[in-house]
Amino acid sequence: MDYRAQIGIRFITRRKGSLIAASLAVAIAILVVQVNSVIFQGLYNAIVRDLTNYRFGHVFISKRGDFITRSDFMLVNWLDRIPYVQAAAPRLDYSALSINSTVNGQLIQDVNVPVPVLGVKPEWDVKASTLYQTVKGQYVSYRDSIVLGALVDRDLGYPQIGDTVKIKFKDQFGNDVLKRFVIVGISQTAGNQGNDNGVIINIDTLREIMDRPGQSSEIIVRLNDPSKADYVSELFLSAFPSSADKFKAQTIEQAAEVQLAGFRSGIALINLVGYFGMMSSAFAVVTIQMMQVSSKTRDIGVMRAIGAKRKDVLLVFIFQGMVIGAIGAGLGTAMGIGYTVYAKETHMTFQGSLALEVQYNWMGIAQTDIMAFVLAIIASIYPAFKATKLEPVEAMRFA
Amino acid sequence: MLEVHNVEKVYGEAETAVRALQNINFAVKRGEFILIVGSSGSGKSTLLNMIGLLDRPTRGQILVDGADTSTLDDNHLSSFRNSKLGFIFQFSNLLSDLTVLENVLLPRRIQGTLDGATEEARMLLKTVGLESQLKKFANKISGGQAQRVAITRALINKPAIVLADEPTGNLDSISAETTVHLLKSLNRKLNQTFIIVTHDRPQFGDVDKIITIKDGRIVEGELEASMA
Ligand SMILES: Nc1ncnc2c1ncn2[C@@H]1O[C@H](COP(=O)(O)OP(=O)(O)OP(=O)(O)O)[C@@H](O)[C@H]1O
Ligand SMILES: [Mg+2]
Repeated sequence: MDYRAQIGIRFITRRKGSLIAASLAVAIAILVVQVNSVIFQGLYNAIVRDLTNYRFGHVFISKRGDFITRSDFMLVNWLDRIPYVQAAAPRLDYSALSINSTVNGQLIQDVNVPVPVLGVKPEWDVKASTLYQTVKGQYVSYRDSIVLGALVDRDLGYPQIGDTVKIKFKDQFGNDVLKRFVIVGISQTAGNQGNDNGVIINIDTLREIMDRPGQSSEIIVRLNDPSKADYVSELFLSAFPSSADKFKAQTIEQAAEVQLAGFRSGIALINLVGYFGMMSSAFAVVTIQMMQVSSKTRDIGVMRAIGAKRKDVLLVFIFQGMVIGAIGAGLGTAMGIGYTVYAKETHMTFQGSLALEVQYNWMGIAQTDIMAFVLAIIASIYPAFKATKLEPVEAMRFA
Repeated sequence: MLEVHNVEKVYGEAETAVRALQNINFAVKRGEFILIVGSSGSGKSTLLNMIGLLDRPTRGQILVDGADTSTLDDNHLSSFRNSKLGFIFQFSNLLSDLTVLENVLLPRRIQGTLDGATEEARMLLKTVGLESQLKKFANKISGGQAQRVAITRALINKPAIVLADEPTGNLDSISAETTVHLLKSLNRKLNQTFIIVTHDRPQFGDVDKIITIKDGRIVEGELEASMA
């Protein structure tokens, strides 16, 4: 082995205290970055997952400021023929003026926060969305069946399946319409990412109420290969040019931009915190390396006296930095991966919120590792440079 | 082979300046065994540092084989120390994180001439009676053993000049005696030049030359005083 590498490795590995302190500093910085990534990227992914599953699909087709008037049957059929498409379904969005539970007479009526009403086509919707899986009881089926979101159910004083509610709507012409529904299910999701604050009814019923026969607000498209979302959007827009129909076809990231943008900048901030952690671990390495250099003054003098050049001394301490970086990165990655596996296997959640969608981000891990390793070396440069400034006469001084 | 011309060494500046050496002149021939003596603080170590090219004189020249060393840059000085000079210091000399054998081999590894080095090192260590200690770390052997390892290391690159600063200074009398004996027999066998700083002139018996320093100057008349 190169003697400078050997001496560097011996200097640090035979100083267990310094080695442990320095590599732990590096390891903990890596761990912090990875734990951040598991939690916050996991939370982000979980939100994207749920928004995809419950609300937007992988591709979200809508019309600029208007309802889709083209036949849903035709559009869904057209989409179904694309090999990457698993299923598509129309949905219609509206809101209720008030909801009244007939068993206990409790009423929800708030002009500022109207209750969202979602119209679905059940036989298609269960293929294009997993919203139906969030329902205790049954999904909407016949014309006057309704699924209450858990929050709506709570605000109505917990009416049961089989009970009825009365909903007041405004129709297209501004007239109040009152309609009675039978509760067939209650929908509840972790983190309220689903339809917990709204109700779900049959799309045809809603079309009647709104007096919009055959119309939809959106078509949600579920893909068997989510990476093809851009391709499918483009394909759709080329077949139904926006010049004619004013169609929009968006990927989940575009469609859910409002919900996701804030979160993304939060993640960026958290990552920044992680990188500051890394910087402070680099300062810890600088301090420990300075201590190493001053405790090895005499050894450095001896090396210089018997012929080692300044650059050889530099290399000794750079190799020390590499050892610190390598052990720290190894340790940090092991702990980080351990935590990631734990989070993934236990479907980690925070206080009943949605389960993290943990992914093994090997590229990210490798990047963090390389960064930590390189930082440990950079942190060693100044101490190593200091060491080269020691003169060979140091060897002659008292111990 | 070694000439010291008008060497002067001043530590510090202005009021605090210490004139550790002045007007030092002498020459050393190949194979000589030379002692530098003088009271504490007289400048012996300072002189040895100058001769050993560990430090540069403030004024004057040190010529080795006729070449002025003051013109050499740091890298050349390092190479020069590595191949032409061997050092034995008064205090712990060895790298405690290396084994006995690794310490002895270090000058060769710095030089980059490892062929046969391990065998040579083993042989040298055998002549100083340390063949059984090769794998021990340097901080796990006795002071006397460490001094013998240092001597072995000083010889591994077959230097023209071996410099020692009080090599027996912190040894018991028996270890000191063996060390002196070893140095003198090596000097006779290998025809290398030895320049040794000591407090204990009698310990070394007959030598080729004695340089006595007092207050940074060579005391005339004492030169070659012990020549038989
Ligand atoms: N680095 C230095 N800076 C300032 N003064 C120094 C330095 N090194 C030595 N001196 C001074 O130079 C003078 C000579 O010191 P030197 O170490 O050469 O003495 P010495 O003869 O080796 O003494 P000893 O027998 O105690 O080892 C002393 O006055 C000392 O204080
Ligand atoms: Mg001295």
